[in-house]
Amino acid sequence: MTLAVTIAGLRLKNPLIAASGTFGYGIELENFVDLGILGGIVTKGLFLKPRAGCPPPRIVETPSGLLNAIGLQGVGVASFVHEILPRLARFDTAILVNVCGDTVDEYAAVTRVLEDAPGVAGIELNISCPNVKQGGMAFGVDPLLTHAVVKEVRKATRRPVIVKLSPNVTDITVIARAAEDAGADALSCINTLLGLAIDVETRRPRLGFGTGGLSGPAIRPIAVRMTWQVAQATRIPVIGIGGICCAADALEFLIAGASAVQIGTANFVDPNVYQSILRDIERYLQRQGVARLTEIVGSLRYPRQQ
Amino acid sequence: MTGVVGRLVEWTAPCPTAIIQSMPSDLDAALVERHSIGDAFHVLVFEHGDVARNSRPGQFVMLKPGRSTALPLRRPFSIMDVDAERETFSVFMKVVGAQTQALAHLRIGQTARCLGPLGRSFQSPQSPSLPLLIGGGFGIAPLLLLGAVLRRDAYEPRVFYGGRTIADLALRRTLEDLGFSLVLATEDGSLGFKGLITAALEEHLDSCTLPTSLFACGPGPMLAAVARIAARRGLPAQVSVDPWMGCGMGTCLGCVVPTRKANEERPRYRCACTEGPVFESSEVVWTDDRASPSRARETTP
Ligand SMILES: Cc1cc2nc3c(=O)[nH]c(=O)nc-3n(C[C@H](O)[C@H](O)[C@H](O)COP(=O)(O)OP(=O)(O)OC[C@H]3O[C@@H](n4cnc5c(N)ncnc54)[C@H](O)[C@@H]3O)c2cc1C
Ligand SMILES: Cc1cc2nc3c(=O)[nH]c(=O)nc-3n(C[C@H](O)[C@H](O)[C@H](O)COP(=O)(O)O)c2cc1C
Ligand code: FES
Repeated sequence: MTLAVTIAGLRLKNPLIAASGTFGYGIELENFVDLGILGGIVTKGLFLKPRAGCPPPRIVETPSGLLNAIGLQGVGVASFVHEILPRLARFDTAILVNVCGDTVDEYAAVTRVLEDAPGVAGIELNISCPNVKQGGMAFGVDPLLTHAVVKEVRKATRRPVIVKLSPNVTDITVIARAAEDAGADALSCINTLLGLAIDVETRRPRLGFGTGGLSGPAIRPIAVRMTWQVAQATRIPVIGIGGICCAADALEFLIAGASAVQIGTANFVDPNVYQSILRDIERYLQRQGVARLTEIVGSLRYPRQQ
Repeated sequence: MTGVVGRLVEWTAPCPTAIIQSMPSDLDAALVERHSIGDAFHVLVFEHGDVARNSRPGQFVMLKPGRSTALPLRRPFSIMDVDAERETFSVFMKVVGAQTQALAHLRIGQTARCLGPLGRSFQSPQSPSLPLLIGGGFGIAPLLLLGAVLRRDAYEPRVFYGGRTIADLALRRTLEDLGFSLVLATEDGSLGFKGLITAALEEHLDSCTLPTSLFACGPGPMLAAVARIAARRGLPAQVSVDPWMGCGMGTCLGCVVPTRKANEERPRYRCACTEGPVFESSEVVWTDDRASPSRARETTP
């Protein structure tokens, strides 16, 4: 039985990838997790310069969900390349870098810095962060801007470019196709949903930034639906993300058409969740009499419309 | 009550000021004892060898009842006491919501996911001095372990314990039984000094001629007051903060506190879970009450 998958020319030993912003830069967890069992790790979002991030409070729990406004606090791409990347080299897992920018030029510039760095398996373009004033989600909700930024980044690298889509749009397939047309190799689907939680006593937002991004099981049905729509609307591989906590959750995305999945919020509950998910996916494949994971990708038996 | 405060692993010796972080471990920890003090407060004793052996005062654990990997997230709790022989540790819990309720009502033998010990501990005083331990509400918890370790190291700590009313001082008997020199304060005057615990502290400092060092844990406004007192009087003070924590491992960046060390030009956000929860009070940039999650707790229904 094999759990290996290939995405955008990238071979992953299994379809489980740690989602951006929920696994640090990987090294924070080296004492907690055997990083080598992961198919891949997407780093925390990186800009050209270090970022301070949003004022606290930055997270608040909501029913089955986590609302966050971290604001892409980070060390900047240069520090990442010089100080962190070398320490990741000894782990047998694919390192994908989540690339951010306030402008198209910044996205391209960050990508170019990574181009010469050894050990980067691919780029994930974050055009969908709801917690920054400029850039971020502004790109991901507009097909023309999406096209423009993906095109520039495409020119800046030979590495696989994965575009991370925002769910905060009416029709996600429009953005997905814009990214595909501009040369994306794969799509990550989805980033967090824009939300607002209010402290009724003070009548203020519960988060320092105001609004935040919602993640966790609360968003899973939306994420599965969007993954299914995007997989049908495009020819490039899709990576499903949203509220995955166990094998059945991951399998929903794969059956809907995702070639791999990312696990985000569940890392906070248990960064070792990968072990049990892998074991349970294997058991599932055995039960279903399937030899390769890839056989179940897109195998949804959807009722035919009348 | 727990009867085990004081039977400790080496804390400071042989190298008093070094921060040697022990490796945290993640286990299913069985509840072995519960002591309830009214409905709201509980001392819970869990089995966890690594926490029992390796914890330093001020460190914490992340707990979640059961084994599910779905939300809700784990919750942080200070380590109140350890017993290396029995391989147990205890936490002092105030029930404020669903997870504290669920943890407080585990049956004996049931387990919680337990990750720890985590965080930067209190550091032993730089020079011989009288340690004053200031605890507000459940913030008293880490001060029990700290007090025990200080005594073992031949200090004579004095404990200041405050709350809004007598019921908030749920651990006063335990502290008395342990023989701590104790100052109690309630805002409504139902027990001890009437007013804020920091006012009782000031009164003590006014009449105290010995060099002192302050150690505090409690609501944000209390810690800010301790920081002001320490700054005005030129006293060293360490404070343990309690922002919301998502992971306890430094990955969510949800628990940051604005800080500025002496050699830094501008303030920086530092994670309370890895670089705290204990900070030098002079390093924390004290903001208005709104930023304090403890304050939010007091006002949320
Ligand atoms: C380092 C650290 C040590 C702590 N030690 C202890 C301890 O020893 N004993 C103890 O009883 N509690 C301690 N706490 C606080 C404890 O973690 C929270 O009370 C708990 O997470 C609440 O969970 P819940 O699901 O019951 O409540 P929720 O339903 O999550 O919240 C109930 C209310 O509590 C408030 N709240 C939630 N989390 C926090 C938090 N982290 N800080 C302040 N307010 C919060 C919110 O305003 C909310 O309205 C500590 C927190 C930290 C960060
Ligand atoms: C605290 C936090 C920080 C995040 N930071 C980033 C980020 O830097 N870049 C990014 O593309 N997505 C970020 N995300 C979004 C996640 O990668 C993921 O798309 C989203 O959380 C949905 O998956 P989940 O429900 O499994 O968490 C973040 C999410 C959370 C909860
Ligand atoms: S609690 Fe997640 S980084 Fe501190």
